Amino acid sequence: MNSFFGQVRAIVWKDFLTEFKTRELFSSMFVFAVLVILIFIFSVDLSLVNSEEVGPGVLWVAVIFAGTLGLNRSFTLEKENSGLQGLLLAPIDRAAIYFGKMLSNLIFFLVMEAFILPVFMVFFNIDLLSNLGPLLLVLLIGTLGFSALGTLLSSLSSNLKTREIMLPLLLYPLMVPIAIGAVRLTEQVLTGGALGDMMNWVGLILCFDVIYLAVSIMTIDHILED
Amino acid sequence: MSAEHELEEEETGTRPGEGGQVLFWLTAVGFVGALAAIFVFVPTEVTEGIVQRIMYFHVPCAWVAFFAFFIVFFCSVLFLWRREREWDIYAHASAEIGMLFCSLVLITGPIWAKPIWGVWWTWDPRLTLTLVLWLIYAAYLMLRLQTAEGSARAKYCAVVGIVGALDIPLIHFSVLWWGSQHPAPKIITSEGLGSGIDTSMGITLLVALGAFTLVYFLLMSLRVNIEKMKDEIDRLKKQRLYSN
Repeated sequence: MNSFFGQVRAIVWKDFLTEFKTRELFSSMFVFAVLVILIFIFSVDLSLVNSEEVGPGVLWVAVIFAGTLGLNRSFTLEKENSGLQGLLLAPIDRAAIYFGKMLSNLIFFLVMEAFILPVFMVFFNIDLLSNLGPLLLVLLIGTLGFSALGTLLSSLSSNLKTREIMLPLLLYPLMVPIAIGAVRLTEQVLTGGALGDMMNWVGLILCFDVIYLAVSIMTIDHILED
Repeated sequence: MSAEHELEEEETGTRPGEGGQVLFWLTAVGFVGALAAIFVFVPTEVTEGIVQRIMYFHVPCAWVAFFAFFIVFFCSVLFLWRREREWDIYAHASAEIGMLFCSLVLITGPIWAKPIWGVWWTWDPRLTLTLVLWLIYAAYLMLRLQTAEGSARAKYCAVVGIVGALDIPLIHFSVLWWGSQHPAPKIITSEGLGSGIDTSMGITLLVALGAFTLVYFLLMSLRVNIEKMKDEIDRLKKQRLYSN
């Protein structure tokens, strides 16, 4: 078991090193997320609507759209120079490859969110600091589900010729529970409500996380098979 | 010479046999019966008028669509387990037919809703779920179209078929809780129809459900046959290519 975690850590570390060297993924995700927020602000008159009610939706759309850029890159990067083949030839579990990629995606997304949140706070004029704890929890469980399902579908779509088109088409309809649930919870948190009042949503998102982590482990052997 | 001989042999093999003929005539009779029940036998509903008759198409279409998507899930699991091309063909055929009936649900629904509710569309949980399902299986079929034929495609599609079906309960609850925030008109369900109204309407609905289910199986057998013939043609072409 220890070696399994060692394998996962090695893959995460590899992705980190690549990212530190190039910094192309993080910067593009962050700039894209800011652009999405900006376009929403232009399309919605903030003086007419309550920013606590519109904001959460915009935040999650920005996270999901920018995250899709990262997911597209995640396995395409491995395809270049046959990196994936090297990974598959290495004597490691396929589930370890999935978990490594999933964790590195998750961490990239969380770092991106950490940078977006201040931008979001300033643009929407919402006080995030007073409810930071529950907000971070909601972001964590929502992003976990996103990267769990996203990594599975990214590994699948990386084998297609039209991967950039197919990934969002496959991913977004399946992301509906997260998109609705996470937005609802974020709204609840930002308007000062207790997370305990919406435990059904928390349960739903946790179910999503667990189901897609489990399904990914069970099916990744079939996808990463050459 | 031997290839031609095989061709003849296979032709008789893939032609719809006795079972196919029986299914065809059963479906034809069932559907004519359902049409007669819908347009002649059942009385016009008092409050909704003639437009209510579309329910006898709408509800069976929804049932067939959900049933077809369940079959996709079932066959996808079996494919990953057994790795037999047969299950991939069934999943493919069922997804296409499910897509057809899901589209019919989304078309017949608004036709009924406009005169009754006054709007084409509301974000009622059931409507939202059907729309999301349509999008999931549209992506599933696009994945099939855009991947080169082979065992890789079958595996990817099986994974998406499983992932999509497992999402259905989650989507159901999320749109239910989301939709309940808005005041939405009540949809007439099959339970509501059965309990609240005339028995002739209940009978008509049951006949229509049966007829549409038969149509599903008929379309399935035709689609599966086509796919098997395609396989056979590919096999013969390869045989020809390598024998020369």
